[in-house]
Amino acid sequence: MDVILGTPAYLPRTRLPYLFTALQAAGRRIIGPTISDGAIIYDEIRGVEDLPRGWADQQSAGHYRLVPGNADRYFGYVVGPTSFKRFTFPPTVPLWRARREGSEVTTEAIEPEAPALAFLGVRGCELAAIGVQDRVLRDGFVADPDYAARRAAIFIVAVQCTVSASTCFCTSMGTGPEVTTGYDIALTELNDGYLVEAGSEAGRRLMDTLPLTPAESVQQDEAKESVAAVRRTIGDPVAVEGLPARLLARLDDAGWAAVAERCLGCTNCTLVCPTCFCTSVGQVSDLDGTDSIAERTWDSCFSPTFARVAGGDFRPRLQDRYRQWLTHKFSTWVDQFGSFGCVGCGRCVTWCPVGIDVREELARIAPVETVAPVVAGETIQRPVAVPAAPPAPIALPVVGSTVSADFSRATVTRIKPETVDTYTLHLTDLDPRLLATQPGQFVMVEQPAFPPVPISVSRIGPSGIELTVRAAGPATKAITMLAPGDQVSLRGPLGRGWPLAELDGRDVILVAGGLGLAPLRPLVEAVLARLVPSQKVRLYLGARTPADRLFVADAAAWARTAGVDFEETVDRAGSDWTGRVGIVTHLFDEAEWDGRDAIAFVCGPERMMQAVAATLTRRGVTPEHTWLTMERHMECGIGLCGHCQLGRVFVCRDGPVFSVAELGDAFGQEGL
Amino acid sequence: MIEHRFETAELTRVEGEGSLRLRIRDGEVLEARLEIFEAPRYFEQIVVGRTPNEVIDIVARICGICPVAYQMTAVHAFEDLAGIEIDPSVRALRRLFYCGEWLESHALHVYLLHAPDFLGYDSAVAMARDHRDLVERALRLRRAGDALIAVIGGRPIHPVSVRVGGFSRVPRRTELTALRPLVEGALADATETVRWAAGLEPPVMAREPRLVALRDSREYPFNAGRIVSSDGLDLAPTDWLTAFEEYQVAGSNALHARSRDGGTPYLLGPTARIALAGSGLHPLAAAALAETGLADEIRTNVFRSIVARAVELVQVAADALDIIDAYAPPSEPMVSSEPTPGVAAWATEAPRGLLFHRYEMDERGRVASATIVPPTSQNQAAIEADLRAFAPAIVALSHVEATRQFEQLIRSYDPCISCATHFLDLRVEEVAR
Amino acid sequence: MGRESRRADVRVGVARFTSCGGCQLTLVGLHDALLALFERVSIVEFAEVLSPRSGGPYDVLLVEGSVATPDQARRIVELRRQARALVVIGACATTGGIQALRNWADGDAWRAAVYPNPEFVAALPTSTPIADHVHVDAELRGCPIDPGQLKEVLTAVLVGRRPQLAETAVCAECKRRGTPCLLVDRGLPCLGPVTQAGCGAICPAFGRACYGCFGPVATPNVAALRAQLAGQGRSDEELGRLFAGFTANAPAFRAVAQPPEHNE
Repeated sequence: MDVILGTPAYLPRTRLPYLFTALQAAGRRIIGPTISDGAIIYDEIRGVEDLPRGWADQQSAGHYRLVPGNADRYFGYVVGPTSFKRFTFPPTVPLWRARREGSEVTTEAIEPEAPALAFLGVRGCELAAIGVQDRVLRDGFVADPDYAARRAAIFIVAVQCTVSASTCFCTSMGTGPEVTTGYDIALTELNDGYLVEAGSEAGRRLMDTLPLTPAESVQQDEAKESVAAVRRTIGDPVAVEGLPARLLARLDDAGWAAVAERCLGCTNCTLVCPTCFCTSVGQVSDLDGTDSIAERTWDSCFSPTFARVAGGDFRPRLQDRYRQWLTHKFSTWVDQFGSFGCVGCGRCVTWCPVGIDVREELARIAPVETVAPVVAGETIQRPVAVPAAPPAPIALPVVGSTVSADFSRATVTRIKPETVDTYTLHLTDLDPRLLATQPGQFVMVEQPAFPPVPISVSRIGPSGIELTVRAAGPATKAITMLAPGDQVSLRGPLGRGWPLAELDGRDVILVAGGLGLAPLRPLVEAVLARLVPSQKVRLYLGARTPADRLFVADAAAWARTAGVDFEETVDRAGSDWTGRVGIVTHLFDEAEWDGRDAIAFVCGPERMMQAVAATLTRRGVTPEHTWLTMERHMECGIGLCGHCQLGRVFVCRDGPVFSVAELGDAFGQEGL
Repeated sequence: MIEHRFETAELTRVEGEGSLRLRIRDGEVLEARLEIFEAPRYFEQIVVGRTPNEVIDIVARICGICPVAYQMTAVHAFEDLAGIEIDPSVRALRRLFYCGEWLESHALHVYLLHAPDFLGYDSAVAMARDHRDLVERALRLRRAGDALIAVIGGRPIHPVSVRVGGFSRVPRRTELTALRPLVEGALADATETVRWAAGLEPPVMAREPRLVALRDSREYPFNAGRIVSSDGLDLAPTDWLTAFEEYQVAGSNALHARSRDGGTPYLLGPTARIALAGSGLHPLAAAALAETGLADEIRTNVFRSIVARAVELVQVAADALDIIDAYAPPSEPMVSSEPTPGVAAWATEAPRGLLFHRYEMDERGRVASATIVPPTSQNQAAIEADLRAFAPAIVALSHVEATRQFEQLIRSYDPCISCATHFLDLRVEEVAR
Repeated sequence: MGRESRRADVRVGVARFTSCGGCQLTLVGLHDALLALFERVSIVEFAEVLSPRSGGPYDVLLVEGSVATPDQARRIVELRRQARALVVIGACATTGGIQALRNWADGDAWRAAVYPNPEFVAALPTSTPIADHVHVDAELRGCPIDPGQLKEVLTAVLVGRRPQLAETAVCAECKRRGTPCLLVDRGLPCLGPVTQAGCGAICPAFGRACYGCFGPVATPNVAALRAQLAGQGRSDEELGRLFAGFTANAPAFRAVAQPPEHNE
């Protein structure tokens, strides 16, 4: 028969093997449901005999059992522990190979594999999940090449849900049970066969090769009613209206600690989730570390190392990690990607070994009765099956004009010791994009066999840039041990730098603590270069000891510049120090100036920045004009690995420079 | 009067820690003692109160070299008590599992521990500089052995899948056939090993040891067979204690095993198996042995045990290929069973020889008491007897060379001291310190 | 420069305390990487493979086994002095091993039960991890250790980077491997959620519950897992035995582990 897009046809159950043959004839391997280890998982299947015919799944919080179902049905189950992300976003993917020969470094991206696959049995919630990952990994800020390549090679055969589990809540999340769009072919399983609909031209062409008959209206009615019955059964278990704001209003709720009493921190919820996308990069190298392959692996915000940096852990408690997960899924994801991060598939409920149910936790922690603060312009986009136009990125002023996720090489031409453990590397032979680095932007330094390290650019010159690195751990130490003539591999410039456009003739306050002066130095130089006579620049520097002061010669020159008020202090002084001693805020909390029309730029340890911001507020500087640069664990530098999330933002992608106003409650929030 | 003393502070290149004390006066051996100073781990106590499946996990830890042997002996003991008939495919898989361990263990011993003695090196590391091919061959053989154990048990050391009644999981056919090239390579390497080992020059020795091994009418012995000896013993694998006993060495706390017939030393392991159960050798292994022309000498000269071990490498590689080719997964990986009170006992052939377990099970089906007799504690008397016999011929050599040959002799038994934790032979002085 | 200096001769030792020998055998199980290692470093002490002995010093000393005799308690202190980096390998060295179950018994009860003349056995009444006696620089978990992790820690030492060793629960590896959770789909008493990853989640992939041989994660919620298992009808006695395994003496497990009663 002639297949017309959007007009259903009928395939008797006995002819289902033709679907397999047609997909395989099109050169596709088929990924679909099959029984393994007591559950229905998704794996490669070769024919109908691999399908879980006659089986159903009984699911509740922390409980899953296969039970006999309708003997004839192939799709009489709900969803199992596997999601299709296993095949679009595999657990481990090699990303690049880095080699060092003598001084030379070569870093080559590894070409993505993109096998031609057909997904069979994709449910409404799962289509929505694919859509969510499309937005994050393909249509977002920077596309992940591996994901994009794999995704493009997928043919989707969706299946309408005609059964549900007690764990399902797609109806609340707006993702199902109906499959409405985003598929190539959709099936509805009836008593004796399948209602088949094409959702794409590729699907229509494939249907052309199947032995279909026109669908009778009674069959169409049966199909509609069986899916409608599922919707009625599930009901509307989660009150999503206003949920993002309700959750954010409850960051200090006692409920987080209560759930942490039960939570195992095992990572299961995140790894069975079809939308979770957090990863880490590991290095597989030879014994000499001269040849290594960087591999990306699924990680989880419940992992103990997830938010760890050299100086500590931003989310040390289990309750911090649970809060991160839940608030991301149901609140901050909306800010970042325009939809919920949850599609209501219920996997995290079923596969939690202790049966923690997100629906109950949401109701407990963020009940509807909560008076939510009205957030201007908040709209909740529920995940939709087909990614609509990519959502607008988070509404932050983009300052950095250049962001590059590609590798480039540079040569170390000079290394200058700044302190006992901090060195400045002067790099030349740069990719021209790096010469266009904006003050406040950073690069990822990739050494063979070492994890990538984010380093702020501490000087931008006409022919080179400088990186100032403290040997805080082995990877940074290895960078400081490079010698003139050595090459390094870089990605960048990355992130959003200081908002130079906001200067606008305002008085400028610059406050640095310790290594925080490094990302501020190019800003200081830019500010001084465009200083107008009416402008005042107030520069306050703090260091632990006199020996820990960075850029001493530069600082001396800044201090001599007309229009610059320069003050510095150390926490602890020796006998030869004649300057100020004490914390950096002491330099200006008694000062005469009025900050109401000034703009401030601050960089240093987070606690120091909190103290500085508080003092600046008291001196009249507005939160909109108080700018900080934040530190978080970073692996990718382009908003794809998830590590650096801070409330609504990814520090690497949306920052690292933020105004206090932009960060809002997230600034200074414990465990975020 | 000339008195020679040979003492090694610590025997090297044996699995575990032991030392040799030998005193010879005017050609007469006054003392020949192989001392073991493994710290005790009290496994017979650890298993008390445990269920059979817990015991299977625990006893693997007696030895990191031959955990499969401990698991196989225990599981067959429990199944025998419970009267469980295992699926023939499971039986074949267990044999394949054991083949993997023999491959690993023999390759380790032949090339990495024993070969340097014959080629004049003090270690495989030194040997690798001149004979990289030998070390590579050893590593290939071990890789095949590792792979066979891991495909069935999850990992080569302390595998996890052995359960009473079968396995917690059995491999798919494709998983086994994927290993075929590796095992074919091992067969070629093993065959080459026999030729190479037969060409090694051993010290001269001729004695007729008493031998004990399992013998099975159907196959070369691994998990089944009767306990037989070169002097006519013939026992069910459950009945080791009717002919043998553990005894306390006078003046020390050492538990050795001896024959109840008056304590004649006896030898276990490859030599004993080939001599007593050689009719069950795989045709390829039998052919490899015949080609060497050393069938008798491997029995009479313990230094030739390296050839016996090499022949068994061919045996297990060839056996493994046959099992892989014939494999069809069982309908169920394991059959269930009920806790059974009574006595569970069994013997299997560990790489180093007969290993006997006996568990008294209480009314809940938990262990009430355990006896575990590893091969090395049975071989110890034979080792000491051979040291006595061999010593007079050796003392004429330089002290260094003589010590080396004594060590080589001990290594010829492949003593696995790690397992022998309960036949401690510590000097009283050491305790008093 | 730095890279050249890293090429200098690196002296590696392997020392054994109370153990089965399986973890040091894992070194031999590195296959091809073993030959590369032979070429890259000097293995100066490894009694089970090398005849020449070295009293040190060592750049890297791998220590297997627990401290269970008075002599071992003295020897580890001496070895520590000789080792620049001391890496403990395996459940015995990191927790005391299965033989640490004697620590639950009364004094020397087990020694007396096994040996007619226990006074001849120079054993301590306890089996303890190396870190109870000397400072350790790194640890590899597992009974036995994982060959990939061993290779990683050796590579990291040679390259000068931080070893990349998983700190998540076994569950993370189970999910990556694609194994359904058998606590959930079969109700098996799996210790995976409180056990540190590194093995590759072998046991669940082979159809059985994790028995905790890699020891507890840094902050395991043992109470929550125990409550869940008790809720499935498991007795205190069974739960006590469950945690009384190869890493029973790790503090988080020790608190709930209870080996079976002995009647002696």
